[in-house]
Amino acid sequence: MHRVWAVATNTIRQALRMKVAAVFIVLLLVLLPVMGATATGDGTLKGRLQTVVAYGMSLTSLLLSLLTIIVATYSITSDIEQRQIYTVVTKPIRRYQLILGKFLGVVVLDVALLTLFLGIVYGVVVLMPRFVTASEEEQAQIHSEFFTARASLIPPLVDVSKEVDAMYRWLEKEDKLGVLYPNYAPEEIKKLLTKRVQLERRASTIGQMLIWEFQNVRPTDPNTQSLFIRFKYDVSVTPPDEHVYGDWRIGDLRGLKTGTPVDTPVYRVAPRRDPVRKFREIEVPTRAVAKDGYLAVAFVNPPLNDTTVLFPIEDGLEVLYKADSFAANYVRAGLLILFRLVFLACLGVMAASFLSFPVAILFCLVIFVMGAASGFFVESFGYMNENVGRIYTYTIQNLIRLLPRFDSYNPTQYLIPARLISWRLIGEVLLIMVCLKAALLLVLSLVIFRFRELAKVVV
Amino acid sequence: MDYAIETVALTKVFSDWWGRAKVYAVDDLNLQIRPNEVFGLLGPNGSGKTTTIKMLLGLLHPTKGHALLLGGDATDPKISARIGFLPEESYLYRFLNARETLDFYGRLFGLDSATRQMRIEALLEMVGLKAVASRAVGTYSKGMARRIGLAQALINDPDLLILDEPTTGLDPIGTRQIKDLITKLAERGKTVLLCSHLLADVEDVCDRIAILYGGKIQALGRVKDLLQKTNKRQIVTDAISDATIERIRELLQKENAACEISSPMERLETFFLNTVVQAQRQATPTSGAVSTTQIGDFLTAKSGKETVLDKLVTATVSEKAEAGPIRTEKPSPRETVVPQPNRDLLTKLTQSTTSSPVARTEPVEDVPPTTARQEKTPKSIIDALTGEKQPDGLTTRPTVAPKEDGGDA
Repeated sequence: MHRVWAVATNTIRQALRMKVAAVFIVLLLVLLPVMGATATGDGTLKGRLQTVVAYGMSLTSLLLSLLTIIVATYSITSDIEQRQIYTVVTKPIRRYQLILGKFLGVVVLDVALLTLFLGIVYGVVVLMPRFVTASEEEQAQIHSEFFTARASLIPPLVDVSKEVDAMYRWLEKEDKLGVLYPNYAPEEIKKLLTKRVQLERRASTIGQMLIWEFQNVRPTDPNTQSLFIRFKYDVSVTPPDEHVYGDWRIGDLRGLKTGTPVDTPVYRVAPRRDPVRKFREIEVPTRAVAKDGYLAVAFVNPPLNDTTVLFPIEDGLEVLYKADSFAANYVRAGLLILFRLVFLACLGVMAASFLSFPVAILFCLVIFVMGAASGFFVESFGYMNENVGRIYTYTIQNLIRLLPRFDSYNPTQYLIPARLISWRLIGEVLLIMVCLKAALLLVLSLVIFRFRELAKVVV
Repeated sequence: MDYAIETVALTKVFSDWWGRAKVYAVDDLNLQIRPNEVFGLLGPNGSGKTTTIKMLLGLLHPTKGHALLLGGDATDPKISARIGFLPEESYLYRFLNARETLDFYGRLFGLDSATRQMRIEALLEMVGLKAVASRAVGTYSKGMARRIGLAQALINDPDLLILDEPTTGLDPIGTRQIKDLITKLAERGKTVLLCSHLLADVEDVCDRIAILYGGKIQALGRVKDLLQKTNKRQIVTDAISDATIERIRELLQKENAACEISSPMERLETFFLNTVVQAQRQATPTSGAVSTTQIGDFLTAKSGKETVLDKLVTATVSEKAEAGPIRTEKPSPRETVVPQPNRDLLTKLTQSTTSSPVARTEPVEDVPPTTARQEKTPKSIIDALTGEKQPDGLTTRPTVAPKEDGGDA
């Protein structure tokens, strides 16, 4: 083990003394505080904090990702190209120990730098409210909507397959498929129909009530805190002022259904006017949740409106409640970044085990960019395989699955709306990105390096 | 018999991209190097010397055949822990300083911190880089880098030392020192494989040599057997009168022998060493390596097989350890009981192999001259180089005192 550690410390020294790391460190040390001082966001205190966290985290994550790729690949390829490896592998150290040492060195460096920079961002964020003049309302807002970690409940999608099947058969019988959906495969038509039916379920015509029911709502402290109903309206006909009215009721609505009395109060929110296609939040005391964790949210489209109101399927409505502290959530956000760096370290080591420095770094950057936009790639190839055929399903699709999915595990998308990063999510990322994909890369690099002729001159 | 190095039909073919054979770098090489032998591998550039060494150490895979080092595979940590290797150029981490470099390699050997510390100081002293030990090795000249490369190869006190062109870039003093070191290590039962195309180096120290050309052995044997002309004789005398010379000519004519008489030239090596001694006497400052002939204490400390010579060496080592600030590896009690060198035995031993009169008069802390190789440079020069001769056997300090680190006063 101390041989591995000897290689690791040497790698760290190399990164620091060859100025590779120094450049990134200086850059971040300058940029992070400057950003804290200049960020404005949407003008509110919350907006400023969100900007600082978003940019601070993204910048740290991006620069450390690049640093990891560079150090991991350079450290190994330069040893081979400048031949220090001759004197190292002829010492009593196994080749896998050498590779593990390099990997460990990069990861230790990452942990240290990540802690430092995220510490700076955290310090800026926590101290900012003290030095910024803001109304009391704004100060209260940041505590309930930023310095918290809120669990989110999304109403489950209703199973509408029977309805869709019936609709499809009817269209087929009436011979309207070709007219309505020319050049579409049957699966695609069904998909489109499903979407339509589901949206219908989340649409409220004038005077109609929509009810969503949630089970297992467990806030940390039921007496003092608030629930947040976060919603986004869409409309069939946009009103001239782009605002619609809404009538909300929140609480245990089972009493209305069955007529039996209930313990928990039902909150009726005064009719409110909100802009369309923008996120808004309604705050309700946590007491609205029944003792068995039941909560219902009802929306009535009042006759004041002259349009049908819809709640988009992905993000139309959710219930948020405080489930953990901001600090704990922030630490988990850091872990998500660390997992990404560990993956990149393995990737760099793997590439360096058989490629020269410029090729290895290009390879890593391509994977990194593809990983950062994996959603886009999955989607675009998804369309392709329906049109072009099965070859893609069996080749490229599987390759794409091997890509890291940095974008879907991006910590800022949780911290900005103060969303809880659950331990479950952390476990999932740890398992898939680190224990599976990264470990696979590392094992691959060990095997390649084990059998490589290190002194072979490639012309 | 177990060989220190044994190759069986070792072959390396470098092929082109299509897999077609291009060059036979090493061709069916069968080499047996016995333990405690100093073996020289010679050959012109591109004759397969370095390729052979790389295959021995597992840096290249043989196309055919195999190589055994110390009875095993060089990639096995148990074996490589006993090997020291100096590659053709000193490939060092440029961002480390000399001390850190040696510490890194020491840690790769799993040496504990006290041993590392002791050996690093001894090696730095030996290669004369103590004064510049905290400078990044990237700033070193080629010869200085070479010295660190050598120190790196010795940090584990290897049983088998593989040196690829050890003297390239070194000044004559460094070259001399490496030769002395090789001799010394051989006396302690170590095996040395020396690979060079500087013939003078090889000739001075090697027991046996092989000459490679085109990846094949062209000649193999003892240096003496290969070089000695048994039908010639050489007589060296003090300056004698012309009359005496005439009489010698007459004598020789009676035997019908051709003869050639001239004043022998001083060897350039000797002349160079003398010149540097002069300069050091005047304490000319230098920013380069300080010349010493010291050899790391731990390298001369006890070994498994004890010889009379070992005892002689150990006796002085233990004295040194008490006098000096750095504790060497403790000599075993049995060795300290016999502090007095057994001079009779030494005399017998040296007389059988050498005609040098120096052996009987020199103090024992330096390389005891046992073979004919030692004759060429008079001991006194080496001593002079390293400062005043010290009667108590304490070694030698570089004369450029201002450059020294304060650590070892």
